[in-house]
Amino acid sequence: MRELIDRALQAASAAGASYADVRVVHTTQENLSARNGVVEGVSTSESLGIGVRAIASGSWGFAATSSLESDAVVDVARQAVAIAKASALTTRTPVELSALPAYNDSWEGPCRIDPFTVSLDEKLDLLLAADAALRAEPAVKIAKGALGFIRVEKTFGSTIGSFIEQKYTESAAGITAYAIEDGEILPRSYPNSHGGQAVQGGWEAILALDLPGNAVRVAEQAAGLISAAPCPSGTKTIVIDGPQLALQVHESIGHPTELDRVLGDEAAFAGTSFLTLEDLGVLQYGSEHVTVTSDATIPGSLGSFGYDDEGVPAQRDFIVKDGLFTGFLSSRESAVRIGRESNGCMRADGWNRTPLVRMTTLSLEPGGWSLPDLIADTEDGIYMETNNSWSIDDRRLNFQFACEIGWEIKNGELGKMIKNPNYTGITPQFWNSCDAVCSADHWQVWGIPNCGKGEPMQVAHVAHGAAPARFRDVQVGVGR
Amino acid sequence: MMLTAEQARELALRAVGLTHADGAEALVTSEDAALTRFADNRIHQNVAESDTGISVRAVVGKCMGVASTNRLDDTSLAACCERAVAAARLAPEDPDFPGLPSPMEVVTPDRVHPSVRAFDASARAEAAAAIIAQSALRDLTAAGTVSATEYTVAVANSLGVNVGMGVSTVRSTVLSMSANGGSGWASHLSGAAGDFSPTALGDEAALLALRSDGAVSLDPGVYTVVLAPEAVSDILDFLGYLGLGAKPYAEESSFLSGKIGQKLLSPLISITDDATSAETLGLTFDFEGMPKQRTPLIDAGVGRSPVTDSYWAAKLGLPNTGHALPAPNPYGPMPMNLEIAAGDARIEDMIGAVKRGVYVTRFHYVNVEDPVRAILTGMTRDGTFLIEDGRLAQPVKNLRFTQSAVDALNAVEAVGKKRTLIGPEDGGANLAPALLLSNWEFTGQTR
Repeated sequence: MRELIDRALQAASAAGASYADVRVVHTTQENLSARNGVVEGVSTSESLGIGVRAIASGSWGFAATSSLESDAVVDVARQAVAIAKASALTTRTPVELSALPAYNDSWEGPCRIDPFTVSLDEKLDLLLAADAALRAEPAVKIAKGALGFIRVEKTFGSTIGSFIEQKYTESAAGITAYAIEDGEILPRSYPNSHGGQAVQGGWEAILALDLPGNAVRVAEQAAGLISAAPCPSGTKTIVIDGPQLALQVHESIGHPTELDRVLGDEAAFAGTSFLTLEDLGVLQYGSEHVTVTSDATIPGSLGSFGYDDEGVPAQRDFIVKDGLFTGFLSSRESAVRIGRESNGCMRADGWNRTPLVRMTTLSLEPGGWSLPDLIADTEDGIYMETNNSWSIDDRRLNFQFACEIGWEIKNGELGKMIKNPNYTGITPQFWNSCDAVCSADHWQVWGIPNCGKGEPMQVAHVAHGAAPARFRDVQVGVGR
Repeated sequence: MMLTAEQARELALRAVGLTHADGAEALVTSEDAALTRFADNRIHQNVAESDTGISVRAVVGKCMGVASTNRLDDTSLAACCERAVAAARLAPEDPDFPGLPSPMEVVTPDRVHPSVRAFDASARAEAAAAIIAQSALRDLTAAGTVSATEYTVAVANSLGVNVGMGVSTVRSTVLSMSANGGSGWASHLSGAAGDFSPTALGDEAALLALRSDGAVSLDPGVYTVVLAPEAVSDILDFLGYLGLGAKPYAEESSFLSGKIGQKLLSPLISITDDATSAETLGLTFDFEGMPKQRTPLIDAGVGRSPVTDSYWAAKLGLPNTGHALPAPNPYGPMPMNLEIAAGDARIEDMIGAVKRGVYVTRFHYVNVEDPVRAILTGMTRDGTFLIEDGRLAQPVKNLRFTQSAVDALNAVEAVGKKRTLIGPEDGGANLAPALLLSNWEFTGQTR
């Protein structure tokens, strides 16, 4: 592999690149899904290819091919340089990268039981047992379950002399029960919605979820939603559970702090950010209870790696500290604009995509509350669990989230079930209304394997640590 | 190097022959894609890729397994076929599986234009520069894309299905922005590079950006709205995804469920899926190699049967309309070439008919709050205006809506006579007109 990568780097340099990096990525996947007792899909896939990124004439070019033949690798390197030179037509300022030493290293993510060696029978037995347990509840009209496994082997080389090999395995699982009645469809999921929980790890992570053991509760709650009270409309105190808060962090802290968005690179598609460069170290993003870190070193997180996709070591950085906005998510190119070095957030969706600034594990750090104490301390509010729907504007200010289930909080106690709860807000105002975050005992890293960004579209696997937290004066029951 | 349709068909047939099972289907996709991206008036990303992949579906009795790879040497291809068979042998039976579909005649028009292949990195850079120039001369900044894609798809199965065709597309998007928060949008989609005028597109977006400068607040509430085609296409996408396929129909999670033959939308609304139309782009067969049929879905407001594939057609006793997605497919059949029948109104007439309302250029980040009633929430962006006394008045800050698409399309006052082709990065495309809707609920506003 080193020889192949060296050949591509040499071809890029010979064609006029002032800098080039090369990634060879081999991805294998297995996916299984069941619906109402029928196995809908058993599939495996693999993808192998090489991507070359080059700077020439002060501009970027990227080219990728699935052919690893020697001639093809040289051709694709030359193509990347030719594209870079074409891009220079509009260049005003040549691309500049933050300083980076060369690394020769390897890294491997955790995986105790290789999921690709576990028999299909065992996997299907687990999935169908959970499916049957969901359908034991008569009100459940649709039962869904899915397992997914990914192995990524990636080799990186660059003209500054880095050569890095990385390997990791991801495992994901989730179940959902849908109660349908009178034109309403009411989902309830475990351990999270939109495919469940995803981690870096092996089959042991799936077994630990105990899908069949949790299916009964999930089905009962789906059935209960049919007769649950509608979400009241108005301004309320809300307590948000970990999985929903993870998505809230993702949408309203993760994306707006991506430095490429702030600089306008994503303006036409994903949008920009309400943040400006001048807000750094000045803006009170949230209350004193809000501290957010970007950490690519957390073992088992979907956002972890040894080095990002431009060879920058994994690191932990404060994005918000005690409410104050302290850092962007950055790349080598964007970091130069704020006079810093990259904090290692460049990630690409496979061999055929150029790296973009992406989240790693972006977490709301735990506070000191126990969840029972937090509920007991809340006079009048709603406890909301598990995301059902999300939307946010192109500057990441106005958001609206719907959850699968809510619970009335009255006089410090959880009360009746609420169906289709939703809430809306404006990002800084919302985070400044946070007056309590639960402790590390309630804190968990939640994998989000479906973060879309960029053109051509790239889907990143990121993660967020979160514990339940409380927010005051939030508008709920929108459009109800 | 991208495969021709003939080469792709040969590869698919070879894989079918290597798949030793009761039945086999192979889907080959081969693509050369290039995309030039610009922001802040300069090209900042410029990418190209070449990939060919094959997906094999093996059938053993009523059991199926799928394996795919982009490693096409003999050993890897055989291994892929063996993985599909192994998965099928272990998979539980699906009692409703009707078997692979038998061949049907497919018309495959020539949808590859040589101008797209010639639209190389230099040509795309020149196009981007021409777009940027329209913003730069007005002290605006432009962001967007210029892309050229050519792809080939072939499907073969052990019952004799053997089809293939190529498609080329040129797509461009432009967002022009002012320093004071004004923004304007324009997009282009066609099958040939010659149909694309970068200067005109850049000009359109820049003029809209200037006009939307200095946006003011507007109280949320129910408004009459004029939705431009881009906004209509977003709603059409969600309506198709949530309600116009056989699976949500059968599972009673569609607004169509149990209501075929009933009036569901305004009589002014007729929705058809038609991949064979000369006005659209994409494949004329589905991912099982079946011909995509012109399928009326809403006929003057009255609900018709959903789109199907071989599985759901057999299960529901409906004709196969040819809307299969690649296997395994948890979504069911999906319309990919939706169109709303043109009306007789000019967009100026629609605006002229509104005493007080809102004009929406496009939406952002739309998502589903209730699939059955198709309640959607999302934001407006890049050109939202208050309409007063029949004319566009001041621009307004972006608004959040929470609105049932079904209810909205039941309150249509006019349909545009001009339709615009709007589509994603690849795949199908919608033909959408502007719409005048009497009730649209805005539930919030951004800063």
